[in-house]
Amino acid sequence: MLEPMTHVRIVSRTPRLEQVLRRLYRLRLLQLEPAVDSARSTLTAVPGDEERDARTAELRLLLARLDGLLELAGSDREIGDDSPSIDAAEIASDLDRIAPEVESLAARIDELRSELAVLPRYLEPLRRLMPLLPDLAELDEQKLRALKLDTIALVLNTEDDRLVETLRAALHELVGDRFELVAESGDPDAVGCLIVLAHRDAETVRALLGRAQVRHLPLPHRYEHLSFHGAVAAMEKRLESLPHELEAANADLHDLLVPRAPTWRAARTQLASELEQLEAVVKLGATARTFVAVGWTPSSRLSLLRRELELAADEEIALDVLGPTAAVTPPVLMRNRAQARPFEFLVRLLDLPHAGSLDPTMLMALFLPLMVGVMVGDIVYGTLLLGLSLYARRRYSKQSPVIRDLTRVFVAGSLWAIVFGFLFGEALGDIGHRVGLPALWFYRGGRDGVEPLLLFSLAIGAAHVLLGLALGLWRSAVERRGGELLERLGTVLALGGVFGLAGLAADRLPDGTLIPAGAAIVVGVVLLVAPSGALGLMMGPLALIGTLGNVLSYLRLAAVGLASAYLALVANRLGSLGPIWLGLFVAALFHALNVALAAFSPMIQALRLHYVEFFSKFYEGGGEPFRPFGESGAA
Amino acid sequence: MQHGLMAIGAGIAVGLAALGTGFAQAKIGAAGMAAIAEKPELTGRAILMVAIPETLVILGFAVAAMIIVLL
Repeated sequence: MLEPMTHVRIVSRTPRLEQVLRRLYRLRLLQLEPAVDSARSTLTAVPGDEERDARTAELRLLLARLDGLLELAGSDREIGDDSPSIDAAEIASDLDRIAPEVESLAARIDELRSELAVLPRYLEPLRRLMPLLPDLAELDEQKLRALKLDTIALVLNTEDDRLVETLRAALHELVGDRFELVAESGDPDAVGCLIVLAHRDAETVRALLGRAQVRHLPLPHRYEHLSFHGAVAAMEKRLESLPHELEAANADLHDLLVPRAPTWRAARTQLASELEQLEAVVKLGATARTFVAVGWTPSSRLSLLRRELELAADEEIALDVLGPTAAVTPPVLMRNRAQARPFEFLVRLLDLPHAGSLDPTMLMALFLPLMVGVMVGDIVYGTLLLGLSLYARRRYSKQSPVIRDLTRVFVAGSLWAIVFGFLFGEALGDIGHRVGLPALWFYRGGRDGVEPLLLFSLAIGAAHVLLGLALGLWRSAVERRGGELLERLGTVLALGGVFGLAGLAADRLPDGTLIPAGAAIVVGVVLLVAPSGALGLMMGPLALIGTLGNVLSYLRLAAVGLASAYLALVANRLGSLGPIWLGLFVAALFHALNVALAAFSPMIQALRLHYVEFFSKFYEGGGEPFRPFGESGAA
Repeated sequence: MQHGLMAIGAGIAVGLAALGTGFAQAKIGAAGMAAIAEKPELTGRAILMVAIPETLVILGFAVAAMIIVLL
């Protein structure tokens, strides 16, 4: 359910400002809103304080530097420890002390990485071009200059070899026969070229290439004076040594930063807390002698908030409850029973419920594991998934709240899988059935199992969709949305009529059902069409067909369940062929694959059924999360 | 012979529906991943969008299951 929120205004004398803010920060019960906007009165912003502004600027800068360094150290900046109070000035001087060394090491690492990435781009074209001009490859810059020759390496980004001939013709027109052009197409989409030409023509040719926007490939400065052979050898040697140099530089940076990271993390938490308190002042309003804070607090904590503030301000404080207004929307805080709480993140994954709407977490906690159980429906698979979930929960739940919640969801799903395993009489597929495990309801793997499974899936679908529609009806009635109410009522009636007719067609209902079912469909369609007028003639029946499609969509429970049961059957059949050791290996492989699929696919399918089929009937998203003042201190 | 043809029909019903679903999911999935890369908070909606065309294959399965039950 969604925690009801209360809009409050807190007024106290200006000298009490710091005490009240400190207490509010520690309590984490109030989401501050801009007081000047919301009060629409004579309030002004809290007067500026030079010292406070300077401190705010200092903390922002310090936090930015800490974030940068913690990122370099590869450390999570959000998790601080409980170190004793840390002096910002001390941290700043520590950062000043090591900053030059860190900057130099970081620059060196960037340079080495860039060199490591760039050198192969030079090396490959040179390697390919050298055999084409073996004599030239031995000449260094001085010798080339003595021969009054120059070279231009370039890359043509084209797959078309005819472009080389076009270039040759253009060069011929420009400098006559005083050049040599060799080309090598190593890459599928680029051609490497080398032009050897008289030194006096070099500028003219470069100008031509510049006008034609052809990319030159000048060698890095340190290889310019070498022959091509010498440059290739030097580059290869450099490429060999670069990873070691990079590793050494990284190790130096690591040694410099990592030992300091825990202190910095703790400092970051403390400084972020202080900054949040300083920045909160901007949201407050003021009169000549008082300050005013406006915000939202959970209604159940209102008395606690009042009591704590009175203690903090020595009773010199007033806390008023503001009436509801359409202009302000309360933030949303989900608060469910402990068993359902892990499912909250699955609801949030779609969207946070809108304030004042329904929180479907409890219903999701009820139906989602059941659907997973129907699809997996195997005692051994369920037990394996339960074991894996419990292991993951124990091993990884402290690392991430998402993993903690997800493993709890899986535990619930696994338990239902075991329950349905008994109902279907399945353990490792048909092995349970073969060793005499009785199916308490029906066995899915047999010919007679398909029909009841399909009907069961449709029954779950009908119940789930009708529940969604009923909730939607209730919301429409509460919100007094007449048109929507009629449409939903019409859908429920028409859907009931269609189910009645289906039951009649399947000889499951008496003949007398025909007239009420037909009447329900007619009345339902009229109610569906009426609120939208002429447009409703088209949209109403379409909406009904969509809802029927929603119910049919639950057949996926049967489809995924049958796929799992038959894959297990195939594993057992393959396992019984050939020698026993091979059979065991193949069967284990297939069952492992089936367990892996069972851990993933049923959850996705069950989620989809909730998001698309169920939530679409009543869910209103778009809520803003409750962000209490002081939440940075909770990191 | 009749049973064989019915079984083939059931296979075609699921197979063609699955092809249609796969075609739609490929496009939606690619767009969804691009959206998630930009805005990770859209993960839930992307899953929802990717899952929508699955109704096609489920309807194919329903037809196939009806054929198999009639066998």
